[in-house]
Amino acid sequence: MLIFTLRRLNLFIFTMLALTLLSFSLSFLFPGDSIINISGAINATPSQLIEIQKAYQTDDNIFWQYIAYLKHIIQGELGISMASQSEISTEILNLLPATIELSLVALFIAMFFGIPLGFIAAIKHNKPADNIILSVSMVGYSIPVFWLGLLAILIFSINLGWLPSAGQISLLFEIKLITGIQFIDILLSDSPYKWQAFSDATLHIILPACVIAVAPATIFIRLARTSMIEVLGTNYIRAASAKGLTFQQIIFRHAIRNSLIKIIRHVGLQFANLVTIAMVTEVIFSWPGIGRWLIESIYQRDYTAIQSGLLVLSCFIFIVHILTDFIYAALNPLARGSKYGS
Amino acid sequence: MNLLDIRNLSIELIGDNQNILAVDKVSLSMKEGEVRGLVGESGSGKSLLAQAIVGVLNDKWHVHADRFHWRGIDLLRLSIEERKALLSRDIAMIFQEPMACLDPTTTIGDQLAEAIDASSLTGFFWQKQKQRHSAAIKLLHKVGIKSHSACLNSYPHQLTEALCQRVMIAIALARRPILLIADEPTAAMENTNQGQIFRLLSSLNQLKSMSILLISHDLENITHWTHTITVMYSGQFVEAGTTEQIFRKSLHPYTRALVNSSPSANFHLPAKSRLMTLPGSIPILQHLPIGCRLGPRCPRAQQACVKAPSVTNFHGHKVSCHFPLTPIKIQPKAVKGVC
Repeated sequence: MLIFTLRRLNLFIFTMLALTLLSFSLSFLFPGDSIINISGAINATPSQLIEIQKAYQTDDNIFWQYIAYLKHIIQGELGISMASQSEISTEILNLLPATIELSLVALFIAMFFGIPLGFIAAIKHNKPADNIILSVSMVGYSIPVFWLGLLAILIFSINLGWLPSAGQISLLFEIKLITGIQFIDILLSDSPYKWQAFSDATLHIILPACVIAVAPATIFIRLARTSMIEVLGTNYIRAASAKGLTFQQIIFRHAIRNSLIKIIRHVGLQFANLVTIAMVTEVIFSWPGIGRWLIESIYQRDYTAIQSGLLVLSCFIFIVHILTDFIYAALNPLARGSKYGS
Repeated sequence: MNLLDIRNLSIELIGDNQNILAVDKVSLSMKEGEVRGLVGESGSGKSLLAQAIVGVLNDKWHVHADRFHWRGIDLLRLSIEERKALLSRDIAMIFQEPMACLDPTTTIGDQLAEAIDASSLTGFFWQKQKQRHSAAIKLLHKVGIKSHSACLNSYPHQLTEALCQRVMIAIALARRPILLIADEPTAAMENTNQGQIFRLLSSLNQLKSMSILLISHDLENITHWTHTITVMYSGQFVEAGTTEQIFRKSLHPYTRALVNSSPSANFHLPAKSRLMTLPGSIPILQHLPIGCRLGPRCPRAQQACVKAPSVTNFHGHKVSCHFPLTPIKIQPKAVKGVC
């Protein structure tokens, strides 16, 4: 297990290095002066500019420039935004938790509905239930998310008036920012209206999270279905039924765990897709997350923000990917131990 | 009374265009405490027959039988659930690849514990858990695994094939079955391990008077362990009798060819001469010959062989051939179909 952890850490470090290399090269590829792109100081006086150039070691060769850039990143200095002239790192710290919250809730909704539905479809293979679930998942996968989001607002917020259409929480509640994740902040706060705020935040997250969850859920349905069909055809399931276990016992004790192993790795892969969908959805639902901020900075040609936003977002996706790998190892004894010849 | 009595069992593979009769009217009967070998080339439907008896074939296969009695109970009259409950209580099966038949993500201990019959346990659930554990340890001791705690805590991929097969036997023994169906239990195993497994099975047969249906493609290897043998070819019944009858006085050309193809039956054969074999190979399921399926390969085939022969019984030595090899001295009363 230790070796497994070290391997993942190793992978993490090297991937992060590659990502920083990419974001560093972006500052040269974007139009304009590379030092301004990297620091975001568009209004700097000549003397300040010299300071910045010294800090980023622009006189040295490209390798030392990269090392200087890395040093800045490690110290948490991502430059200032070209558009608002505020520190990018503080902006990201304020915005990223909202995105983490939204995308994780969406991921859980997608898994909670997608995987069991896929299992049901596999158990009822080639029966009407299977066909219905498959066609519904096909429809769900084909709907573009921006249209679905607008449709959801139209139906549930405007026509029915059940759910709020925008924002993270009603402006009436004043919640102090501690961790940035709204639900935890609400629980930590000592406001007398804590539980009202909590239910209001829940109402706000339902619609965007469901809209994001639709496409991944349909993918999970298909993944769960194929893996369950595969597992149900294996010898150990046949042996278990010869052992005298009932069908339910076979499903719950043996089939589900084995098919989850096959799915869980794809969950990590699908998460990148989910975050992309979340970025679009954040714009539609004016969710104060990093996705909306990133799209706005693209509109404003805020190169410094784009660079750092990409870096942080991909880092987050990669961390989730590694976490799913750990869950995979916990479920699968074959992945845990040391392997020979691999 | 027969333990198991199956008459004319057919297994059909349901296809898109046509149905294929993979097993064609095979009869099989077993007595209490008997070790019966079921022998045939690969692809002769032995495993299918065994899986049909236990009832673990999937929907693609359609099973039909004229008679299916288990200890005098007509199973065909029971509903599917009742039949499954009865059979899973009394019949246990071990499979060809033991490693693939154990759930790779569950420890051996859990898989062994869940096979133990819940009705044999008493008390509350925490007591039951303890009883299950000790019963699992006892089962491992029965099949000759001494380091039980190491075995219980390991996963299938951490054990050898032979150990896995022992675990499979332990799982099979958990319900104290009356009949154990062993489907090529020693395939892909070394000779020493093969001997261990066979010795274990035969000691179970002698000590617990458990009947065993031993399926193998290797006639010579299992003759030491079996009392009676049934030979199948390409899904058809060939010959059944005691091991002595099959080995010494085989009546069917196919059985004779099987016996002759083993080196130990051919001591007198001069050095470097070829072993006796039948020409050709077993037909594939899509192109089964009509009548006696051995027809195209049989040295004694004649025109009559395009019709499937009926089973003839010579003092418990049953053979299904139009032209059996050794003419029988005493005039047999040829009983057709049933005996």
